[in-house]
Amino acid sequence: MITVTPEEFTMVEFDHGTILALVTEVAETVGHDASVDITVEIDQDIPLIGNELRGIDPVEIFVEGGAFEDPKRIRQFQPEAARTIVGRLLLMAADRRSEDFGEVPPNEEISLLVATAWNTYVVGRLDRLGFRSQRQRRLYNFRNRHGFTDTGDAAFDRLWTAESLTWAEIVSLSDDAAAARPEAAV
Amino acid sequence: MRNLFPPEDLARDDRFVRVPAEARIEDPRSNGASNPRSARLKPSQRGGPDGARSMMHGIFVGEIQALEGAGRTCWDFEAGSDEYQVPFELKLDMARQCWDESRHVEISIKLSEHMGTEIGEFGESAFLYRAACNPDPILRLTGVNRALEGLAIDVFNSMREFGKIAGDPVLTFCEDWMLADEVTHVKMGSDWLRKITANDPERRTRALEFQRVVDKLFSFNGLRGDDEDSPVRLARRFRELAGFDDEEIDAIAADALEAKNETASVESVGASA
Repeated sequence: MITVTPEEFTMVEFDHGTILALVTEVAETVGHDASVDITVEIDQDIPLIGNELRGIDPVEIFVEGGAFEDPKRIRQFQPEAARTIVGRLLLMAADRRSEDFGEVPPNEEISLLVATAWNTYVVGRLDRLGFRSQRQRRLYNFRNRHGFTDTGDAAFDRLWTAESLTWAEIVSLSDDAAAARPEAAV
Repeated sequence: MRNLFPPEDLARDDRFVRVPAEARIEDPRSNGASNPRSARLKPSQRGGPDGARSMMHGIFVGEIQALEGAGRTCWDFEAGSDEYQVPFELKLDMARQCWDESRHVEISIKLSEHMGTEIGEFGESAFLYRAACNPDPILRLTGVNRALEGLAIDVFNSMREFGKIAGDPVLTFCEDWMLADEVTHVKMGSDWLRKITANDPERRTRALEFQRVVDKLFSFNGLRGDDEDSPVRLARRFRELAGFDDEEIDAIAADALEAKNETASVESVGASA
């Protein structure tokens, strides 16, 4: 079962039915286990772009209203952005539920660098499923965390193109890239 | 060709979407003081790189409007010494500024590619160009060249620092080069203000008042400030190079602090409601 809250939007011009249909379509596209319920909570009061996975069984997705908003049109819904965010968080939930992936620490214990590396791995998979991925934006984000180096770019490519990585491999790629930052050598 | 070209008629292709000022004002989430970014933008922040992309896109459309504004100032006023005429050399300065702004647009496009931003990814506000629509050439110069290009100095300096901290050589170099041009543009405004109003103190006062109004409008609810943690920090040294004296810089800092306090007060009322 998929639940989206709130049922009515007053601060932004979002439509409950449209979002519910979008989450349903994305869940199917990314191969979400239909026996696991999904709840999506949208805080329409916040025009920022925060979003996070708060539970994996059932899947609990929280987003700030700005995350689903069109950056060109104030208070309007942007389906492309919403698809990518929901798809990303559903794949992360699947990773967390997978025994092969390995144990993942709680969100608050994951460093920004490793979170960015995991994000890269997940969005790379979404890219191959036809989602809007903004590869260069993701690379820029990765470089800001791991450094503007060839080693960092190679780690990004590995994460982006990989079909199946474990948590330990993601952490290792992130650590190796960060170690190559010029200031890390000083 | 007409004089005083309205902002609504600026030519854009379909990648660009204009965000009307009313849309921001009428946004019920803003509580009249939306200021989602209250601290200095850093690469280590969770939304830092995306914040930088959004900021640089704002600068990109600002460069287009600065080009349009300087171009209009070349055209809108005849060469001469009446109140609504300008010295021919001022028109030459504006033509040089057009050349600079065109280069900045090209640099900004390359920078967008580097940062992963699509042209037109964010909405465009026309408020920079609006300041370039003042019918008095000296008020236009103080509004655009001193207030808005002055703000550009602060923004470029802040983004150059962001690039340095991130270790991003492309962003750092681009900001440094554009910053140098902005100092020149502001200095043009300072020099022409002094020259043209040398014997007209009343007009100089009006021009400086207009500049202050524009400065306040663009204080972004305290986004710009004098303290180290301001999202856009007042670049005192570069402003001095551009012809601002200490008193003027102190006034901008005081206005920015006032705007910040007003925003904090409105947000606090909103939070308690």
